[in-house]
Amino acid sequence: MVERNPVLTIICHLILLAGAALVCLPLYFAFVAGSHTGAEMNQVPFPLLPGDQFVENAGKAWQQGNFSRVFFNSFVVTLGIVFGKIATSIIAAFAITYFRFPFRRTAFWLIFISLMLPVEVRILPTYEAVADVAGPVRWALDVLGISSVIATLTGYRIDAGFNWSLVNTYSGLIFPIIASATAVFLFRQFFLTVPDELCEAAKLDGTRPMKFLFQILLPLSIPNIAALAIILFIAGWNQYLWPMLFTTDKNMATAIVALKNFVPVGDSEGGWEIAMAASFFVMLPPTLVILFLQRWFAKGLVDSGK
Amino acid sequence: MQPSEATALKGAPKGALFSGWSAGLAGLLAPSEEGLKRSYFKGTGLAAALLSPQLIILLFFFFVPSWKALSLAFVQIDPFGGKSVFVGLRNFVELFASENYRYSAWLTFWFTITQNIITLVIAGALAFAIDHIVRARYAYRTVILLPYAIAPVVTGAMWAFLFNPSVGPIAGWLHAMGLPWDPNLRPWDAVVLITMASVWNHICYDFIFLTAAMLAVPQSLREAAAIDGASQWRRFRTITVPLVMPTVFYLFIINFVYGLFDTFGIIDAVTRGGPAGSTTTLVYKVYQDGFVNLNLGSSAAQSIVLMALAVLFTILQFRALDRRVNYQV
Amino acid sequence: MSKFVRGAAVAGAAACLLASLASPAWAQDKTSIEWWYANGGRVEEGIQKIIADFNASQDKYEVVGIKKGNYEETFAAMIAAYRVGQHPSIIQSSERTFLTMIDSNAIVPVSELMTQQGYTVDWANFVKPVADFYLVGDTPAAMPFNSSTAVMWYNADHFKAAGFDGPAATWPEFEKQLYAIKEKGISECAMALNSDFYWSLIEGYSSINDYPFGTKGNGFEGLDTEYVYNTTPVVQQVERLKKWIDDGVIQLAGQGLSPMQLYTSGTCSTISASTAGHADVEANAKFNWSAAFQPHEEGVEPHNSNIGGAALWVLKGKTDAENAAAAAFLNFIAQPDTQAWWSEWTGYVPVTNAAYEKMKAAGFFEKHPTREIAIKQLSQGTPTVNSRGFRFGNSNQTSAILVEEIQAAWTGQKTVQQALDAAVSRGNEVLRQYEQLHAAQ
Repeated sequence: MVERNPVLTIICHLILLAGAALVCLPLYFAFVAGSHTGAEMNQVPFPLLPGDQFVENAGKAWQQGNFSRVFFNSFVVTLGIVFGKIATSIIAAFAITYFRFPFRRTAFWLIFISLMLPVEVRILPTYEAVADVAGPVRWALDVLGISSVIATLTGYRIDAGFNWSLVNTYSGLIFPIIASATAVFLFRQFFLTVPDELCEAAKLDGTRPMKFLFQILLPLSIPNIAALAIILFIAGWNQYLWPMLFTTDKNMATAIVALKNFVPVGDSEGGWEIAMAASFFVMLPPTLVILFLQRWFAKGLVDSGK
Repeated sequence: MQPSEATALKGAPKGALFSGWSAGLAGLLAPSEEGLKRSYFKGTGLAAALLSPQLIILLFFFFVPSWKALSLAFVQIDPFGGKSVFVGLRNFVELFASENYRYSAWLTFWFTITQNIITLVIAGALAFAIDHIVRARYAYRTVILLPYAIAPVVTGAMWAFLFNPSVGPIAGWLHAMGLPWDPNLRPWDAVVLITMASVWNHICYDFIFLTAAMLAVPQSLREAAAIDGASQWRRFRTITVPLVMPTVFYLFIINFVYGLFDTFGIIDAVTRGGPAGSTTTLVYKVYQDGFVNLNLGSSAAQSIVLMALAVLFTILQFRALDRRVNYQV
Repeated sequence: MSKFVRGAAVAGAAACLLASLASPAWAQDKTSIEWWYANGGRVEEGIQKIIADFNASQDKYEVVGIKKGNYEETFAAMIAAYRVGQHPSIIQSSERTFLTMIDSNAIVPVSELMTQQGYTVDWANFVKPVADFYLVGDTPAAMPFNSSTAVMWYNADHFKAAGFDGPAATWPEFEKQLYAIKEKGISECAMALNSDFYWSLIEGYSSINDYPFGTKGNGFEGLDTEYVYNTTPVVQQVERLKKWIDDGVIQLAGQGLSPMQLYTSGTCSTISASTAGHADVEANAKFNWSAAFQPHEEGVEPHNSNIGGAALWVLKGKTDAENAAAAAFLNFIAQPDTQAWWSEWTGYVPVTNAAYEKMKAAGFFEKHPTREIAIKQLSQGTPTVNSRGFRFGNSNQTSAILVEEIQAAWTGQKTVQQALDAAVSRGNEVLRQYEQLHAAQ
């Protein structure tokens, strides 16, 4: 067994305690804020101890915010983002690291560059792209003159008939968020650390690439997939700007949009206590994911350690 | 020819003229083997198929919108899309002439570097500590990860509140220590505040990955080293660090991108870029000018500059670091 | 391990399936239109009540109210949607966006819409300073809805303790009061600075004291307007505010705290803020609160203050049935009963004379005297070129510039004059860009 230095162990505990205290302080104040009445919240100085209104505030928020519906939406959207991003990214990273083909590096940089312009910076055109998915295709057909050929041949006008809007759909909430390269980059980094002998052995056995991916590479990637799934689930769940801009139907809103609606704006004041109480049940699913998936990446790791 | 390449060629169908031609072309188009496994597969069609979902999504939801956004850099445009006037490079000229923009670039540079390093150091210390201890590991990890579940919309507001000089409890403690803390009137305090908030918000991310990476270090290696009599520090340095380096490099890039781009939500909630623009980073400016002020032309010009800078720095980071990271330990 | 992969695959497949099943477009008999608004809290409750009442009052139309964030977010969301033809019928937009909306070519002037749809609205019956602001020619382009102006809220207990009846009428006298309150240690801070101070204490100050803010009648007479507030007593006003900040008389709330909270909690003795604060103050202030007119400069006959809040705009590109629904709804909003109820509920000023008279007749202002200050202040003196309002393009942006530069003076990076000079020159660049784009119509 590896021996452990007791002094170092104590230092480590101190570091962790300090870290835990540091990260939990705002959480505590959010709870305090959510457990008072509006009038108590408005006091200066702000109360430092929790009040007794938490359940009431949370109940009020749940009802007003249509949360039973928006929670469902958030789950669909978030799972879609997690699954979609991991699936497309793993195979793309696999192609980039395990295949030799023309434009390999070009493909990598094309994907990588998408990190450099987040959705917030290109939000209006992205909105247009999603509200009119067929736009680029129409444009291409126009430029190539195909649409006029079709129009003359069949009398069918592509411009008029070829519209496809994803506004207020789950797909529209999912796809623009999937289009980012973090996950490809992560899997690339990971695949590069996988010993070459595995692939060599597989090839000697005549294993086909897809079988190698599913039977050897994927199981090895479990810790990374779990870590990434946590990150993506939380990031996806906590998306705000895009769903806010993108959904007009109240029944398509996500939990965070509903939550943000409790945060006071403009001329109207108050309501912080409701917002803070609501923030606790809104953060419940991400919290459960952390608790649950943590085991998975620990388990994956114990296996690989053997 | 490297041995593994020889193996790869051995596995390939012999005498296929096409594959030879394709390999030659590949060599021409991608002269570097960087980021390719020493042992790899062939099959351009399959590779293309594997890449296509990602690339198609990117084409529709990234490249086309980005192109549209960036192409606005040379016009003055009515946000409703009705009128636009071609102005050539004027948006850029105005940008570089603006003192505020130069300050913003300077701020962004230091802010991005500082938060990146501090985040890595703190997350690294926590990950190392949790890797070292045996007891209460699960509890610590859970607690440290927990705040990551709060939406930034809420955390930003809480940070602003805690450090508010009028009512914030933490600001109160700072005042009690005799510090003249006031992010509303002292620009430096505001810069410190957004740096701390950004670091805080991102520690969990780095922590998850570093913990995963450290746990992935095979126990057998450490035990073998311990039997050989290597000290604890030496084991950390010679076994853990090299194995964790690819993850650190990944985090370094991601932190960089995070600091550059994803901190606008925090800045919006904590300082709104103030006081007097002292916490307006480049991306916050892009967001403000594009989304709030609806000055799409200037915002697009800023996006181009920002993207060019980001790509430049990323390439430099790749050159400086990716080659030093040893992926085959 | 493979269990995990399989589980993830099943979950993902389920999500994808649901995603493809989505797009809820139920068939409806009624014509349904959307109204995007930007208020929260009690104001939002009022909005939803009005919508519910309208929907219950008839069976042809249905209005769906959607909150899209704050004013800026709502505006940006509307523009994004407009560009692809997915915009709402009605949008609530702040007074600051007036010129942008007019020049957008994206709106149907409400007076035109109402005429088309066969409603007669007595525009003359709208409270003059409010209606005038939204006029293009003789008829309004937007329906005034939540109109406000800033009043001087004060803590009557604090003022009494300091030996004053209430805030003085002029700035120099008011300044003496604030210093007295501070020196006697009556409260922790004599005044809280509201986050929209540029609206109340700079623009409103210019209106009340009849100082020009820009040339060409504050933009009313042409797009070639220029800001001139760096040459007026606004400089002295900003100097004054800076002195108060340096002396600890005025307190900035900053982020994470609503400035109004500093007042309602009794920490600060005064705040210059919107009359819409009534809902908050009535609910939360546990002291003898009151409000007064905004001060003016010595030797100046005060004029009307500037309006704030927002109006309802009707967007182009809708079917006739949808336009009919929008007109029916706006007609409902213009009714004195709705108006009076809305004003009483929120603290916004009644925007029609009929509603105002109705509230007076019911004795509402005798019970709530502070509710009348705003509307009186909006009508005080004779309107002048300088007090009737502001028509500047991209006003959201120039206001942001003004705030940024004033903060530079407060943080000591610039002198007040330097800061305002910079704000004017940067603001004028924005105006020139706007002119270049919109002049050739």
